[in-house]
Amino acid sequence: MTDTVRLIIDGVVHQVPKGANLVDAAKMVGNDIPVFCYHPKLAPVGMCRMCLVELGQAGIDKDTGAFQLDDKGQPAIRWQPRLATACTTVVTDGMAIKTTTPQVTEARDDIVEFLLTSHPLDCPVCDKGGECPLQNLTMRHGPGESRFLYEEKQHLAKHYPLGDLIYLDRERCIQCARCTRFQEELVGDAVLAFHERGRRLQIVTTSNPPFDTYFSGNTTDICPVGALTTADFRFGARPWELTGVPSICPHCPVGCNVSASTRLDRESGGKIVVKRIMPRQNESVNEIWICDKGRFGHHHSRHGERLTQPLIRQGGKLVPATWDQALALIAEKISAADGDVGAIAGGMVSNEDLWELRQVVENAHGGKDHKSLGVYPYRLSGAEWVAKVGLSKGSNFGQMGKGTTIVVIASDLSEEAPIWYLRVKNAADRGAHLITLNARPTELDRFAKSKLKISYGGEIAALKSLTEKPEVKDAANVVIFVGGEGLDRAGHATLMQGAASVLTSTGHAGKVNNGLIGVWAGANTQGAFDLGYSSEATESLLNKRPAVLILADADIVAEDAANVSLLAHREGKFTVVSEMFLTATAAQADVVLPRQSFVERDGTVTSGERRVQRFYTAQTPLDGPRPDWKVFAEINRLRTGSKPKLSAAAVMKEITEKIAAYKGLTYAELGKVNKQFPDVGGDDPYYGGTAYENKGGLGVQWPTEADQGKVPSVSMPAVGKARKLESGELLIVPIVELFDRKPAFAASAPLLHSHVPAPYVVLNSGDAKTLNLVDGDKAILSSGGVEGEYTVRVDAAVPAQTALVARNLNLKSPTPAVPMVGSIRKVEVVASHV
Amino acid sequence: MNILRGLLTTVKHLPQEKVTIQYPERERPTRERFKGRHHLKRYDNGLEKCIGCSLCAAACPADAIWVEAAENTDEQRFSPGERYAKTYEINMLRCIFCGYCEDACPTEAIVLEHDHQLSFTNRRDAIYTKTMLIDPPAEGMEGTPRQVEPGVYTRSIPEMQNPK
Amino acid sequence: MLAEKYQERIEKIFAKYPDKRSAIMPLLYVAQEAYGWISPEAINEVAALCQIDPTQVKSIAGFYTMFRETPKGKYWLQVCNDLPCALRGADQFYQELLDYLGIKDGETTADGVFTVEHVMCLAACDKAPMLQCNFHFHENLTMETMKALIEQWRAEAKAAQGK
Repeated sequence: MTDTVRLIIDGVVHQVPKGANLVDAAKMVGNDIPVFCYHPKLAPVGMCRMCLVELGQAGIDKDTGAFQLDDKGQPAIRWQPRLATACTTVVTDGMAIKTTTPQVTEARDDIVEFLLTSHPLDCPVCDKGGECPLQNLTMRHGPGESRFLYEEKQHLAKHYPLGDLIYLDRERCIQCARCTRFQEELVGDAVLAFHERGRRLQIVTTSNPPFDTYFSGNTTDICPVGALTTADFRFGARPWELTGVPSICPHCPVGCNVSASTRLDRESGGKIVVKRIMPRQNESVNEIWICDKGRFGHHHSRHGERLTQPLIRQGGKLVPATWDQALALIAEKISAADGDVGAIAGGMVSNEDLWELRQVVENAHGGKDHKSLGVYPYRLSGAEWVAKVGLSKGSNFGQMGKGTTIVVIASDLSEEAPIWYLRVKNAADRGAHLITLNARPTELDRFAKSKLKISYGGEIAALKSLTEKPEVKDAANVVIFVGGEGLDRAGHATLMQGAASVLTSTGHAGKVNNGLIGVWAGANTQGAFDLGYSSEATESLLNKRPAVLILADADIVAEDAANVSLLAHREGKFTVVSEMFLTATAAQADVVLPRQSFVERDGTVTSGERRVQRFYTAQTPLDGPRPDWKVFAEINRLRTGSKPKLSAAAVMKEITEKIAAYKGLTYAELGKVNKQFPDVGGDDPYYGGTAYENKGGLGVQWPTEADQGKVPSVSMPAVGKARKLESGELLIVPIVELFDRKPAFAASAPLLHSHVPAPYVVLNSGDAKTLNLVDGDKAILSSGGVEGEYTVRVDAAVPAQTALVARNLNLKSPTPAVPMVGSIRKVEVVASHV
Repeated sequence: MNILRGLLTTVKHLPQEKVTIQYPERERPTRERFKGRHHLKRYDNGLEKCIGCSLCAAACPADAIWVEAAENTDEQRFSPGERYAKTYEINMLRCIFCGYCEDACPTEAIVLEHDHQLSFTNRRDAIYTKTMLIDPPAEGMEGTPRQVEPGVYTRSIPEMQNPK
Repeated sequence: MLAEKYQERIEKIFAKYPDKRSAIMPLLYVAQEAYGWISPEAINEVAALCQIDPTQVKSIAGFYTMFRETPKGKYWLQVCNDLPCALRGADQFYQELLDYLGIKDGETTADGVFTVEHVMCLAACDKAPMLQCNFHFHENLTMETMKALIEQWRAEAKAAQGK
């Protein structure tokens, strides 16, 4: 058995993978068969007829396997009388195609001519013009002059909203069904469909809400014409004026590779700005997709409220100061603190920043001290289990299917990490056995083979039962996602250990496409763990705050009800905050340092799959803010006289020398690119859409202990005592909503503001009845001493005595970060006196 | 003798009409095809012809043109169709008056007219903005932006026809 | 609405198919019968019954010409004027029919009795000109037979109204 077969293209014999689609196979050996409806990520439908080729079969000698030859010594081929669509053909051994004969050329010319019979000639105003498959293929195949009458073109709606993010131009649509198939096949949410037929065929949506999925922007990438455009970028720039700068999405732990399309902008004073964010192909991370949060969530980088100057508290007020003043003050306070210094870093802080921050803290302590380096948010923990049995190096969800079991515990992936959701869902479609263990229904349940309903606190018991399940025990591969919903820090650490135990006891650790993934909260939470930061430290720092506390991108006040008054007692205490915006935390600080956004600087972040990835400077930085690593290095210089590094690359080099896991992961190594399939980019955007070719590096996954052959034995932790709730008590469980009101996102995408829900609490129908609440009521939720008003949603599927509260929707009255007991009461509507 | 012969030529020209003119007091009429300063044209109804497609900028060999586009609405309409030029600038120091922009323009919005008296005292002044380049609307016609009846100006090139 | 009113019929329809999705078309017929046309509400109701997205139902209703997506007259005349029919004079017949009723393609008469539209092949090419009136074929028509039919239907409509 060989895994390649012989394919004869225009008389030349090629070896191509067995079972490949004919279009893909030809593409791999360098023959571009033009397509409109076919897309390598979607099932073929053969609708556009652009891929017509002459198809034949060479005679094969049964004994030798060699081609039977004709009298000229060439393989004897039996040609089919008619042209066939390549996209609906799977290659077989000895298959032969002709792609350049007059018959084929004429067929392609005619198809283009037909498509243009009703396609408007508005390329000059079309956003796709310049990167348009139809435009390119018309240049290559069109007859040049149409035999059809211009007057008979259809005039249809040019600006039809499919939702408030995506606009449809009905004239431009060539009815390839890529968008409808993307929604149906890949996202599993068929809100787009064809209506009518023949020439009157149109894309419609009658769903409520209309086209409003987390992945809607991707349809504009794969649309082979300019029929679908995003409200965000319409007429923003012409594609040939844009420069694609490789970057990494800062919003979640997936670490999607993106490309920031940049251009000079008059409104920004002639500076280079990011005009749009596009996916950048990385087949092992995000393939060619990104979610709408990543696509539209970049505007915060030039929001008018960005901090541009350091602020120092004087007489109770924060007043602008110079960098020299601010840094000198910080250095002085650190020196005076006599080692009582701690730092907490949030999810968007790069590895370089984390490293330099660690130097500040370690220097203050006079040696290594990891008890003062905290990760924020701190509800997730157990990173040591990832270091031991994390998802194996070389794993790829794109290759998972039959034989693989994917377990998702205590996490709603569609909200926490949409691209993981998409890839897990598609692995399940390919035959992977998906098991979800959640206390409430999640989006992923629709695709799960088994849905195990657990109670909050019953996670370990459920895990134990998993080890016995044949789908886990006997599966070829097992991947476990561990989220933190309904768990506190210690609970999450235990659950991680439990998951690690499942993997080791069933013998799955250390093999490719196996392992543990923590669904962290931030884009670089994994990096923080790797560099010695921990959630345990955060907890102790917040319990007993040190004399000098440095908070980088950690909005501890607005995001956690428990910390609202933490920074207010400032006698003898000194707080430094590094932020992009004047957050609630920054407002209580003694010194505020303006940070740079991810597009204004370079650096590396480590994704939830432990992939260290580089991002590059895309946009002209604002005057004022500096990269954190430079700021922290300067503080160190002021205190110890150490020479600051000259570049982020140099900092990373030091990390690679000091941190064992990061050995060898220099910028040069992270920037390396291999050929990927499907081959997007190049000069044929018709094939894969307008996702950018990866030129900025695929990143490198650091190996776990199990990868290196040291599979630890992990014991299953004991089932803890279930939380006992008195009758009438409610357990407040924070959940994650993708579109929230954290400043870095809220300031990003005014377009998405209507998609951010009002603060809400979800109650079980029984509880709602007892509390005399119905859907839509306003209620006051009090937990951890903080009260806030929420809209009530009633859902029978929520466990009893539980109130689900989405985090970061109401930053004025924060929700708790970890589950805690609270109460809820109805807001009595007082009749107003007129 | 030769001197006299030379003088004779001079004398012969004395009664003839003078070829030179006193510029700038007097100006010679420009040739029909002379390529001077660019004008952005309007339709007879006063709407701008420019649709902000940036093809002139792409065609410009001197990289002298800068265009930024935005979307028209019926409440604030600049040009027919969906797109108009929010920013339109030509750096006259860079421009080589080749006229490629005119060729590239799909709506015949940009035309190199006959103005040639361009002078500036600093580089910034050499950048002609849209307000400097655009022709005023015809007598009695409303300028742009303006509110129009919805659904009338839906095409960027209103009178597009079959090629003849 | 549908679910309560036609509960028994709907249950019978569902019983015929292995999954709910398959019942979309029969249910659309039920809806058409109930409302006279496939209204947006009808689409939402059918979608809820089949537990799929309303867009999918809309798509199916739009694909098949036998579902009415706009309110139609009491008699819905669909004339085929595809090529074979046109060769047998369907185009001319269609135009004369429209002129006789005094309406344009796809319109409904002022009294709400007739809606006339042209459709793709109805598979009766050999008996053209032909039309389909409320899913019943009338073949080998001439303007004379057609006029008689129209008057007959008009009288029936009037009689029905009179009751």
